[in-house]
Amino acid sequence: MMDMSYLSLLLIAIFLPLFPLSMFFNSLYARLKHPLLRMVLLLGWPLTGIYLYGILQPEVPDWMVSWVLATAVFYAFRLLAMREVGIWSGYFATSAWACLWLPLMYADSDTTLYVFWFGIPLLLLVLLVGGLEKRYGAAYTELYGGLAQTIPRFSGVFVVTVLALVATPVFPAFLGMLNILVASQPLVAMTLVVLWVIWSWAGMRLIQGMIVGDPSTEVIEDLSLIYTWGFGALMLLLVGAGFTLTGNF
Amino acid sequence: MHITLGTRLRIRSTIHMAAEPIPFFWPMRTFIHHNPLHGLEHLKFNEAVEEGKRLFHGRVYLPRKIYQHYYAEGKVDHESLRKGFRRFVAKRGTVPGIDMYAMIEALALQLPTPICSRLDMAQVSDIHAALNQQSIAATEDEAVASASKLLRDELLGDRLVYEAMDILFGSRVGDELDDLVINSCLDFFDEGQSVWSMPERQLGFFKAWRDVVSRNVPFFVRGVRIGKILDEADTPEEIIAYVLEQLGIPEQEWLGYFTNELVRLHGWVGFIRWRASAKHYYWTQRFPGDLVDYLAIRMTLALALLHENEKCQGHCTRDEIASSIDQFPEESYLRSELNQGCVLPEMAHNVDMAIAGGNQANLKKVFAEYALKKKQHEAKSQADKLLELAGRVGAESALKALSVDQLEQLIGIIRTFEQKEGLIFLRAMEDKAIKHLMKGVTLESAPAREKRPFVQALFCIDTRSERIRRNLETVGDYETYGIAGFFGVPVSFMQLGKGSETHLCPVILTPKNLVPEISVTEIKDEAALTTLGKAMHELKESVLAPFVTVEAIGLLFGFDMIGKTVAPHTYTHWRKHLDPEKPTTRLLLDKLSREQADSILRATQRAVILAAVVHELGREPEEVSDDLVRNLRELALGRESLKPECADNLGLGDQDLNAFIESLREHYRINDSFAHMQLERLGRIGFTLDEQVTYVGSALRAIGLVDNFSRFVLLVGHGSASENNPYESALDCGACGGNHGLVSGRVLAQMANKPQVRRQLVKQGIKIPDDTAFIPAFHNTTTDQISLHDMDLVPSTHLMYIDRLNTGLTAAARLCATERVPTLELHPDKELKPAIAFRNAQRNSMDWSQVRPEWGLSRNAYFVIGRRNLTQSFGLDGRAFLHSYDYRVDPKGRLLATIMTGPLVVGQWINMEHYFSAVDNQRFGSGSKVNHNVAGRFGVMSGNVSDLRTGLPSQTVLKDGLPYHEPIRLITLVEAPFDHAKQVFDSVVAVKNLVKNAWIRMLIVDPETHNVSLYERGEWKHNYQLSTELAAKPEETLAS
Repeated sequence: MMDMSYLSLLLIAIFLPLFPLSMFFNSLYARLKHPLLRMVLLLGWPLTGIYLYGILQPEVPDWMVSWVLATAVFYAFRLLAMREVGIWSGYFATSAWACLWLPLMYADSDTTLYVFWFGIPLLLLVLLVGGLEKRYGAAYTELYGGLAQTIPRFSGVFVVTVLALVATPVFPAFLGMLNILVASQPLVAMTLVVLWVIWSWAGMRLIQGMIVGDPSTEVIEDLSLIYTWGFGALMLLLVGAGFTLTGNF
Repeated sequence: MHITLGTRLRIRSTIHMAAEPIPFFWPMRTFIHHNPLHGLEHLKFNEAVEEGKRLFHGRVYLPRKIYQHYYAEGKVDHESLRKGFRRFVAKRGTVPGIDMYAMIEALALQLPTPICSRLDMAQVSDIHAALNQQSIAATEDEAVASASKLLRDELLGDRLVYEAMDILFGSRVGDELDDLVINSCLDFFDEGQSVWSMPERQLGFFKAWRDVVSRNVPFFVRGVRIGKILDEADTPEEIIAYVLEQLGIPEQEWLGYFTNELVRLHGWVGFIRWRASAKHYYWTQRFPGDLVDYLAIRMTLALALLHENEKCQGHCTRDEIASSIDQFPEESYLRSELNQGCVLPEMAHNVDMAIAGGNQANLKKVFAEYALKKKQHEAKSQADKLLELAGRVGAESALKALSVDQLEQLIGIIRTFEQKEGLIFLRAMEDKAIKHLMKGVTLESAPAREKRPFVQALFCIDTRSERIRRNLETVGDYETYGIAGFFGVPVSFMQLGKGSETHLCPVILTPKNLVPEISVTEIKDEAALTTLGKAMHELKESVLAPFVTVEAIGLLFGFDMIGKTVAPHTYTHWRKHLDPEKPTTRLLLDKLSREQADSILRATQRAVILAAVVHELGREPEEVSDDLVRNLRELALGRESLKPECADNLGLGDQDLNAFIESLREHYRINDSFAHMQLERLGRIGFTLDEQVTYVGSALRAIGLVDNFSRFVLLVGHGSASENNPYESALDCGACGGNHGLVSGRVLAQMANKPQVRRQLVKQGIKIPDDTAFIPAFHNTTTDQISLHDMDLVPSTHLMYIDRLNTGLTAAARLCATERVPTLELHPDKELKPAIAFRNAQRNSMDWSQVRPEWGLSRNAYFVIGRRNLTQSFGLDGRAFLHSYDYRVDPKGRLLATIMTGPLVVGQWINMEHYFSAVDNQRFGSGSKVNHNVAGRFGVMSGNVSDLRTGLPSQTVLKDGLPYHEPIRLITLVEAPFDHAKQVFDSVVAVKNLVKNAWIRMLIVDPETHNVSLYERGEWKHNYQLSTELAAKPEETLAS
């Protein structure tokens, strides 16, 4: 019985990725270049994990919390050095999806929602990565800074997406993180706060590496007005949904 | 490490020479406009800007796109531009099947950005292959050879060692070093902004820094072993020699190395350079520091950081870098591509991973792939751009049909053109501006006046005076003149209640005469609110105060903030009532006689001795008789021997009395040498009668005002008034050293109103009527208001006219605001009523959130030296410096020489400051005001740590991202017979060189022959025949 439970945990740890099993996800994610496939993987992977957790109902030992947090913090640190934005999004997803273990352990019924609260900004980031690859050949920081002046609308969308992703206030990920923090033991909560700070740091580095700096002299096509408005509407919807569905404390 | 005196001197002199291209930066309290490339003015303009571009990494012409915008707006002379293109093409030969002129024209006028980019890997043969859609291949040896050559060219030579390390290893030592050096400079050069100042600053920059840094705990924890380096030498020169030896920089490369080191923070270096040269500067005298200190600190830190940085281990010398390139050319190239941010984006991740892996075999493999891709990318990109250009002139087939040699020639021509196009556009813009000016110039003499004018007003030559002068002339019988705003009188001014001197003259002059301001009314006690204000200020600056007082008094600051933000006009008006009124003052203008000086000195010494007796011996003042004080003074000065009654009166024994006398000599400076020094200082006060006569006579003759004086002669100084604006002094009078010009007006008025001076002037042929009153006035360029001063000195017979005078001045101010204020508003095309424009201008001067209270000297373009009639009928839109000059009263050309030597040179500095701030605001200007912070009370930085921002802020020269100031070189027009003007021009070497080197474009308009001569390409060209009929003809006719 105990062996089965460990096997279940290991199986789930592939989909709610815990190091070193997280390498499956990251390896697959790095190989898939098409934005659509990446988007499917980003949402499908953790949802599979949650589904498996639901049906296998494993007994989660206490030490798993340390494993979860270590994985989340480890990938958060990797974000700081990663300049390829596509892979960056994969690492962020790994760090965030690892944290999903905590609400599952606390029997938080909103866990599936948390996937979307982090997942939707991640999907948008994947789309933006595609946009950058189309315009510049790659989505890489500190290579063609000054996007704020070259493609201001695209930059605005990029900044808001990253802010939504790193759980900045008003965005639903922020509310999700608060829920998890409130339910956690003090030591776990402290580690989560550290994790959150590292996410924000990594987010700022990403923004700084893309948005600020000397603009290129080349004329680059900006995001169309329709897409920008569409993005704005989606973000408002996301914020509204966050407050409606998660803002219950 | 010990070095010889010769080496020491060599280091000092090399640093001195290395800093030559970096211009002085004066403290911002008295902002001095300067040419950022002043140190390169000995070169021709086009050569100097190329050198400036290399040194300062700045742009020196506008981007092509903006020139195209000007072209579309009609601000570029088409004919001149085409002539420039033709001249360029004619020198370059032909390329078969291609109309080079058409191609160059299409390139300049249709393509928004340059098309020739740097080719690292691709050869012309590759571009040829790409044009003809053939495959491009690369051999590994060829790629490695190209990479090695590129790296050697780029990373060795004059390149700083840590810059090369940063490029090769991404170590970012340069950025950290800059931050550390800036912090050290902020600590040492602070002029009272910091509450806790750096200790031991009086020892000098290097010694004080050395003292502090040896106890720097964070450095110790990090393992930055500065102490180890400092132990090697004692003096800054020795440290520099030691670091150079450690880095492996040979002596013949010191000059270039120092220059590159200095230009990294050229703002700070410019400030230190100026400060070290300003021997009279209070802070220099207290805390000396120069560029040798600066470089010693910089190089010590650089070496320590290089040693500490793990990435740099084993590569800290020039030879080690060279050997690294030779041993690992593939890795070095990939590293430089990645760290400089020019790696091909699609390969960036692979390159990054390969470098992180460190496997040489893998690195070579990635390099081979990268080199090929780079080659293909460069060739294809260049081919596409060439095809696009050729498509514009229908020459695609001809382009594809070119041989490799012909293609190389074509690319060479285009590349050269793209280096030179800025100058061609610039000249064409200037030619357009010249034609515009010439359309307005008239040589018809002014009709003879039947009666004298109501008022004659002397304004500064500043471009902002042009508007107010023009409007004043339209509202009544006003005659205006232009003269340098210090009215030709260099004055060192000591304001009432201030202990320091302010030089009121262009910085190229040093005033000899001191003018103190003295109060003629009783000095009142400070108002309670003023005292409260001071207390608040001190609380705000204290380190601990915010912790304990923010709740208690924070609200008071809130009221202030709300008042300034919501209703700046009303609030400022109300607050004025809280401040005490400035007392009525006079200027001490006359020289003291020897007796007067002695008397003042004696009185001062007696007062000091009395204070010493009271303070040191505890006596009451009434117990100390005049005789006793006199005796003590004589004793201290050694003129009398000790008298017993003196000791008795003071109740002292002989020994104590001797000690007290010694104290008077030592501590209270009652001694001969100090008395001598004080007498010398007193001797600087005021002007002799002869000097006063000379200054008044010269000023009047310089502008041609020698007869027909009116009842009022206004001497209008100018300045600006704005809130929360560190750049306020940049808007003040440049001719007064970045100060308000009122004092200079008061000085000349006080001189010219003296009967003795007027009597002397009669002998020089200048007869000023008795009823002529010289009145100082102040023109506030932010609000356009002109206010009259020293009105209590105006004769009572004139008072009945004052109302009319004030009405005229107000009307002119309102009209001027109507013209000017819309350009500052969001909708410049919207017309404003005079009253509203005037009110908005006043609001601008009081609004603390206003980043652009006025445009200042932006859009300056012309310098006109001549009679007012020359341009009176032509609105110059506030773009011209106008200096009045009448050649008929200057037969020897001395006055013209003076105008050229002083005002014209200052005008050129202002013009060049605006030029470079507009073409590259980030590098030569100071960026946006919004994120500026005051540094040390003498400069501004962007953010909390940056180089000192030296030029003009973007809000002064740019509008909506485009230059509001249209950058062109100063177009100078002199109205005088050609031979007369040329003779003067040839004699004033400084100006002659500026014109010959094309920093100034000069025209001479001969009022007798009506011939216009333009200096161009090393000679005078008598192109324009100006007459009334010709002036009215279309500009195309003039161009021919």
